[in-house]
Amino acid sequence: MGTVLEAEGLWVGYAGVPVCGEVSASVKAGEVLGIVGVNGAGKSTVAKTIAGRQTALAGDVKVHGLLIDPDAVPFRRQVSAVFDDDLFFPSLTVREHLLLIARGHSLEDPEARVEEELEFFGLLGRVHAIPDALSSGQRRRLLLAAGLIRPSSLLILDEPEQRLDPRMRVALGERIAAHAQDGGAVVLVTHDPELLLATASTCLVIDEEVREFDPEQGASIIAGS
Amino acid sequence: MLAPERSPQHRELASEIVRFTRRSARRYKRSRVSWGTRLVDAYSWGLGIGVSLTIAASFVLALRNEIANRATTTGSIIGEQWLVLPEPVLWTSMTFAALVVINNLARKLGPMSVNGAESTWWLTLPVDRRPMVLPPFIRKVALTAVGSAVIYLPFSMVTAVDRAPLEHLLASLTFGVAGAVAVVPAAVQQFALQGPRFGKTITAALLLACSVLPAFSSSPWPTALVAVAVVGLFAMVVPRAGQVRGDELVRGGAVAGHAGASLFMMDSNEVLRALGGNRKAVDGGRAARFYARPSRGPLRALIRADLVAFVRLNPPLMPPILWLLACISTLLVEGGLPEFAQLAVIVIAGCATASGLGGVARKTALVPELDAMLPLHQALVRTSRTLMPCLAMSAWMAVLCGLLVLLGAADPWLMGVGALAGVGMGAGTLRAATRIPPDWTAPPVETPFGPVPRAQLGSLMRGLDVTILAMVPLLVALYLGYVPISVVAVQVVFSAGIFLLVVLTRPQRI
Repeated sequence: MGTVLEAEGLWVGYAGVPVCGEVSASVKAGEVLGIVGVNGAGKSTVAKTIAGRQTALAGDVKVHGLLIDPDAVPFRRQVSAVFDDDLFFPSLTVREHLLLIARGHSLEDPEARVEEELEFFGLLGRVHAIPDALSSGQRRRLLLAAGLIRPSSLLILDEPEQRLDPRMRVALGERIAAHAQDGGAVVLVTHDPELLLATASTCLVIDEEVREFDPEQGASIIAGS
Repeated sequence: MLAPERSPQHRELASEIVRFTRRSARRYKRSRVSWGTRLVDAYSWGLGIGVSLTIAASFVLALRNEIANRATTTGSIIGEQWLVLPEPVLWTSMTFAALVVINNLARKLGPMSVNGAESTWWLTLPVDRRPMVLPPFIRKVALTAVGSAVIYLPFSMVTAVDRAPLEHLLASLTFGVAGAVAVVPAAVQQFALQGPRFGKTITAALLLACSVLPAFSSSPWPTALVAVAVVGLFAMVVPRAGQVRGDELVRGGAVAGHAGASLFMMDSNEVLRALGGNRKAVDGGRAARFYARPSRGPLRALIRADLVAFVRLNPPLMPPILWLLACISTLLVEGGLPEFAQLAVIVIAGCATASGLGGVARKTALVPELDAMLPLHQALVRTSRTLMPCLAMSAWMAVLCGLLVLLGAADPWLMGVGALAGVGMGAGTLRAATRIPPDWTAPPVETPFGPVPRAQLGSLMRGLDVTILAMVPLLVALYLGYVPISVVAVQVVFSAGIFLLVVLTRPQRI
């Protein structure tokens, strides 16, 4: 399996001030890298830097051996990132949002793919609702559906379990694992030990010093034991 | 990584995405708004615009007549003009300043930008971004051109009374296209083709050339010249529109969104905050040693904290200096403006300068709980918050009045009156900072300009009211040409009264 993501001597932070220790990691196709840590440790900052949404203070991040550039079309085609952006077109319905992504990625039979995602994320009853009419959990599902409907070799998820009910969390875990089994690489920032255990192959604990553990140890760290 | 793909298929796909989004949004909006509502909206808009234009036209014509007859009026508020600015120099400078403002605003607002939803749902797609950013950009340029032409028409009528109507139209058309020229270089700067300094220099030279041209309105060639310039700039920008970096597109969209929402809420403080967003806002290290010194008592500590906060927020230095220059230049213009127009310029300059000093007050007003935790009476907290704006405005007014005294506007007492007026004007910044937003749930009030939220005028005038009031005795002294002791006494009463009113009034929850 080839390496999809490589981070070497990566320092992340704001205004030149690092928020955590140096991050070095690599994720191969078929692997899920879990990222855990306490609130404010810098997990989301690491994820945003890997997704190219934030500039690294130092170090390199490569996807398929090339330095990341969020403006380059190949990067946009390969990397799917879901953060907690509660930003939607106010006049587009749930279905239209997903159709936009499906068409933008030139999926074959986009309508059918949208139906599949709507069913998976339990949004079939809300297909004609605009985002304002959705609950916060349903908006979260819509964002996740948009991240998963499209093909990607690297999937970056920032606390995807937030605002989801327990059943949906389990289903999401299975979906992430399936994405990895299909040859995708996943970076998963999470506070949920069960989601971590269900999906991750390795785990980074973000703190003043960034260390690698196996998922069981990572889950224990999340649980505080 | 590879350069962005710009194949026709990718461009067509991007165009299809944009069309799909727009079509869906339009369909949704149409389904929500009845024809009756649309007609009522169109009627309200038409009525509002008609009334506004009528009032503006009457004012412009009255001012034009006043200026045309100025040879018979009493002259200027300054005694002697030892330096006379030729009229064309002043009007060209003002035209240049207006173009610089348009360029600066365009730079802050994008001009190529995407809003929050577009950044999440469009920018992540693997398609050419040109169809996504180009149509809104062209729309902005066209709107700027039309708006600039409309605004320049009254300016031309007031400043060049001897022009024929066709010449006024040509001059405003030239300025309109020059407005478009001012916007497009801001887009060129977004590509970062040249270094920022070189880009700014080129832009300034271009705008300077454009600002001279509206004055030559007797022939159509200046209009043709600026039109050629704008076409040339477009030829440079259009093929590269898809290459603007995503974070730059998002930045412009965020500033434009914040400023637009603030305008909709009619909150000038927030508009300023939005436009100042990309300025280096906070210098956390400044005055650190002064702040760290031990202080006796909470009031002293608070005054020190407010002083340091004021300094760290980098209050802009250039606008007060430019307003000072604008005041003096309008007084020195050849022939002289009518006295009321000169006084109006001073009032506008004073209000504009004061409005930039309420940053700390605004930020603390957004979180009143922090002040409530201090072991001090709220009046003392507000006094501390007002001190720096009062000092800054006093200094600015003293400098302005000193220059007016040098020009023979009045005796040196005017500087004292100006400094006292500055205290009241500085206090106005705190009053403006605690402006309450309009109550959108209450039924609006019908006005000739259309329905407006209840108590909106009061909310808009909050802060501005006392700033203007604090200047009244000073304006009387300027009009009289000397400073009677009664004016000094009234100025003391006004400034002290305003200061006390502001610090003793419980601020509204915002």
